[in-house]
Amino acid sequence: MTVTSYSERPHAKSDGVDALSVPWSRPRPKRSGVSARMVSAVTLLVVLAAWTLSAHLQLVSSVFLPSPVAVWNKFVVVTRDGFVDATLIQHIAASLWRVFAALIAAVVVGVPVGLAIGISTVGRGIFDPLLEFMRPIPPLAYLPLVIIWFGIGEPSKILVIAIAMLAPVALSTASGVRGVSQERINAARSLGATRMQLVRHVMLPSALPSILTGLRIALGAGWSTLVAAELVAATRGLGFMIQSAAQFLVTDVVVMGILVIAVIAFVLEFIIRRIEHGLVPWAGKE
Amino acid sequence: MFTELLRGPMTHLVLDKVSVHYDGQAAPAVERVSIDVAKGDFVVLVGRSGCGKTSLLNVAAGLVEPVHGGATIGGRPITAPSSDRAVVFQNDALFPWLAARENVAFALRLRGVRLGERAHRADALLALVKLDGAGDKRIWELSGGMRQRVGLARAMAAEPEFLLLDEPLGALDALTRERMQTTLLDLWTASHVGVLMVTHGIEEALVLATRIVVLAPGPGRVVRTFETGFSRRYAAGEAIRSIKADPAFAAARGELTDAIFEGEAA
Repeated sequence: MTVTSYSERPHAKSDGVDALSVPWSRPRPKRSGVSARMVSAVTLLVVLAAWTLSAHLQLVSSVFLPSPVAVWNKFVVVTRDGFVDATLIQHIAASLWRVFAALIAAVVVGVPVGLAIGISTVGRGIFDPLLEFMRPIPPLAYLPLVIIWFGIGEPSKILVIAIAMLAPVALSTASGVRGVSQERINAARSLGATRMQLVRHVMLPSALPSILTGLRIALGAGWSTLVAAELVAATRGLGFMIQSAAQFLVTDVVVMGILVIAVIAFVLEFIIRRIEHGLVPWAGKE
Repeated sequence: MFTELLRGPMTHLVLDKVSVHYDGQAAPAVERVSIDVAKGDFVVLVGRSGCGKTSLLNVAAGLVEPVHGGATIGGRPITAPSSDRAVVFQNDALFPWLAARENVAFALRLRGVRLGERAHRADALLALVKLDGAGDKRIWELSGGMRQRVGLARAMAAEPEFLLLDEPLGALDALTRERMQTTLLDLWTASHVGVLMVTHGIEEALVLATRIVVLAPGPGRVVRTFETGFSRRYAAGEAIRSIKADPAFAAARGELTDAIFEGEAA
């Protein structure tokens, strides 16, 4: 999703540190200099200004690049009156429902598969090659096959998203299970844990931080599969809305739809990070 | 061995001519080591790195299978870990998703003891390791010493016959270590468990043990066994300081150090 890549790299607390500071400068307790967050804000403002200016000066035809004001107005209109027979909220609800239904399916299948990979050699032998085979295939490639097999109904759309989510859920569950320290397992065994109790009371909770990270990545992967999934005879959804708008060259709706997808991705990321923080407060503190 | 007949075999943890040989290693880690821990004994294994102390402990725990010889508890062969031999490791291996109390009660939970009952028993054990009122603390809020206390209480909750300690105080600072030693002795006296412990600390071995087994590496073997009485004196009420100030303690310390480094200087 939006904020996963660079901001996730391990770094010293960057806020309040001079952007131009060099490694050998002495650390200062507090400094009211330039922060990364401020630079980001300025960058966004500059992009917005460039966009406004080029639209205002008609550098690009408004058919290709509508002005920010036009996009905002479209946002208000579509929220109120709708576009292609549904309001913006209804499009968003349709898309969110598909993604969350797919997420539940991916967890129900992916966590047990990940456990099997992490715990048993046979499980790893069975599922590892299958997942590694599926993982790099772009959703648009398997979409036709899904339609041939399952038709053009709602299940197909959910399935396309769920397939994209399965690998991240299963693989991060597996890596979480494999990462459980041997001492922790030995301690639990010497306290009388059976094999099933070991899985239930030690391995699953130990893997929980990793599983949640997998869910976050899966949600990002699923959300970016949305447009592909809604290619299939949808009547509602953000992806569908963008495609219909593109067919009629309603560029302001296309741009607005893209921005709404981006904002929702950002909000989902934020929410799931809060959930992680609340559910596994020990992560990173051991 | 006559005493064994008197006490009965039920109260012994026995390693009988145990050899351990790990896959892919040229020499065995341990060769024909026999150790007999009676219930109520405090046996400490000391020796230089690579002498197989931890391997022997793991055989007793049922985590490592010996290539020769065997381990028995109460005459029954040891084939897998079991709660009659609870292990405490150097790294506490606590469960961070559980509060301190539920960590202690883990073994009870596995046995299906109900919440109220296990909270009650866990609190009693926390008091025994001098952590009264820390039951609701999260694991990452505890210091290293406190975490090891929780680990000890958790092992005791399994109501083991024997306690296997793999350098449980190894990661602690010197002052915390000394305080933990008395806690260990209090626990041992109160519970009558047999203890098999691995340590690098020479003084620690003398303070805690009723018997010290000195091992030498290449391959791991017993070079000497000391019967010591300092921990019994503590159990009888003498203060640790006065025990350590005893010239006999200093003498034993010198003798033990010599035994450990015997053959190395030559």
